[in-house]
Amino acid sequence: MGRDIREGVKAALPIVLGYLPVGIAYGVLARAAGLSTMETGAMSFIVFAGASQFIAVGMLASGIATLPIILTTLAVNSRHLLMSSAIAPHFKGQPLKNLIPLTAQLTDESFALAMADTAKVSGRPHYLIALQATAWLSWVSGSLIGALFGSLIDSASFGIPFAMTALFICLLVIQIKSRAHLAVALIAGALALSFKGALPNNLYIVAATIIAPLVGLWLIQKRAHVEVPVEVEVED
Amino acid sequence: MRFGMLLLFLGMAAVTFLPRFLPMALVSRITIPDRAKAFLEYVPVAVLSALVFPAIFAVDGGGVGIEMRPLLTAIVVGLFAWKVKNLFGSVVLGMVVYWALGLTAL
Repeated sequence: MGRDIREGVKAALPIVLGYLPVGIAYGVLARAAGLSTMETGAMSFIVFAGASQFIAVGMLASGIATLPIILTTLAVNSRHLLMSSAIAPHFKGQPLKNLIPLTAQLTDESFALAMADTAKVSGRPHYLIALQATAWLSWVSGSLIGALFGSLIDSASFGIPFAMTALFICLLVIQIKSRAHLAVALIAGALALSFKGALPNNLYIVAATIIAPLVGLWLIQKRAHVEVPVEVEVED
Repeated sequence: MRFGMLLLFLGMAAVTFLPRFLPMALVSRITIPDRAKAFLEYVPVAVLSALVFPAIFAVDGGGVGIEMRPLLTAIVVGLFAWKVKNLFGSVVLGMVVYWALGLTAL
């Protein structure tokens, strides 16, 4: 268990490098939207969901009420339904005391990192819990640094805006293990670009994440339905 | 801290937690059918791609289009990731290249 925790903390470092600057950017925006330093940090501590925190701060700045912000958060985070389902088989039969921290701190980044090398994650809840807790601490720290010293840091300098994208690119490249994966990736990318203007609240991510794998399954089925005995639902 | 803010944060935390928690809590107690497993096998690349492409093909104002700076950086990082498969290196390289291209006014 001690070894799992140490390795988990170490594996989180690329995420920390991305979260600190993005957390700082969030901290700056939250202060500008009228949140106190305490509130800025508390939102990161309690909610821990990057995209929806940025959106919530923007909505608060334009005076939007609590309930619409919560509903928007639900829409933005509905994409985690799919991620949680995909990672679930690796933690089958885990007790609730592990499932709660495993899922409460599941983010796009920790999910992608975990799925890049599932051998490290399978059946090792403490590894992923430690990885995610480290990411969470860096997110809260970044938020507080931004809230306190935001005026001194220019979050658009030193390539900071590209940190998270670079992390995602590497994780994506690592996980393209077959032509079918490549096809799914290209289809998802094309769908995300086409839906981005039409679907609000990051729902284009949900749409691309549901449709692209279905197309991938259909392609596999067409090529070799003898080797891959799966039935495909084309459309529901 | 204002009480209304605390309520907002707790509400946001609840609707953030449920989509993350429910699938794993359910799936860890039932057996997933093979075709659902095959579908889920492709979810990670689909999610990543849906995050990466809009970030690369983004223009000022939130629209979709081609800007040389993110596109070139993405190509360099993609090649590095493919050859070296190092996460930390990819992040640092991406930041350096993006920063350097900013100096050349691309």
